[in-house]
Amino acid sequence: MASPEPSAAGAGAGGESSSQAAAVEPIRMPTAEEIKGQDIWNNCAVRSVVSGVMGGGLGVLMGLFFGALDNPIMAEEMTARQQIVYTAKQMGRRSISNAKTFAVMGLIFSAAECVVEKARAKHDTTNTAVAGCVTGGALAVKGGPKATCIGCAGFAAFSVAIEKFFDRHT
Amino acid sequence: MAAKGGASNFEKEQMFGMAEKEMEYRVDLFNRLTQTCFEKCIEKRYKEAELNMGENSCIDRCVSKYWQVSLLIPFLFADSIYAYSIA
Repeated sequence: MASPEPSAAGAGAGGESSSQAAAVEPIRMPTAEEIKGQDIWNNCAVRSVVSGVMGGGLGVLMGLFFGALDNPIMAEEMTARQQIVYTAKQMGRRSISNAKTFAVMGLIFSAAECVVEKARAKHDTTNTAVAGCVTGGALAVKGGPKATCIGCAGFAAFSVAIEKFFDRHT
Repeated sequence: MAAKGGASNFEKEQMFGMAEKEMEYRVDLFNRLTQTCFEKCIEKRYKEAELNMGENSCIDRCVSKYWQVSLLIPFLFADSIYAYSIA
């Protein structure tokens, strides 16, 4: 097999010169840095912080949108400029408060789901349900035990529905 | 092993044969390990290309258990052979 070898070696394969047409490359194992880079996303703290930041961004957008829809109470007595200033302040206030709520929600949900999934070593909707229950309960804990239970059940159902909705195509 | 440095072809062949056997054993161990842990840990319906976190931690645990057991069994065999030989 003298003729295929120069062509494969000329193609710079460095591996087997078994096929004439395509150069076969050897399997390249990932380096330690690559493994660490991929492992960053497996870390629960990193995941929950990123989810919290994304939740904060979503809260800002929602606050801007819903704050812009809020009409001032004394609409007839204000000039246009005063109305704009009032609306802008409303939007800012709602953005910040929504951002905080959604950031905390995203953080708790992501952290709970990550911890539960790592402990169970299975990828299921049970993880989403438990994480939703923890998040709903944590957000509603100030209303007493009954509100906590209702928040837990409601948010768990909501997050399972959202997960099934996003999984429908696969 | 005083004659190891010498030109004993038979001993060299022996060592080469042992190295081959060891290599086959290792390759077989690796193949069985990947087969077992793949069947245990990874779902049959592929929803995405990446390994998600549950599968990752399942694989970690599976490989760790398999490795521990594979290191433990030769010791158990050695003990049982010893027990047979003196009994």
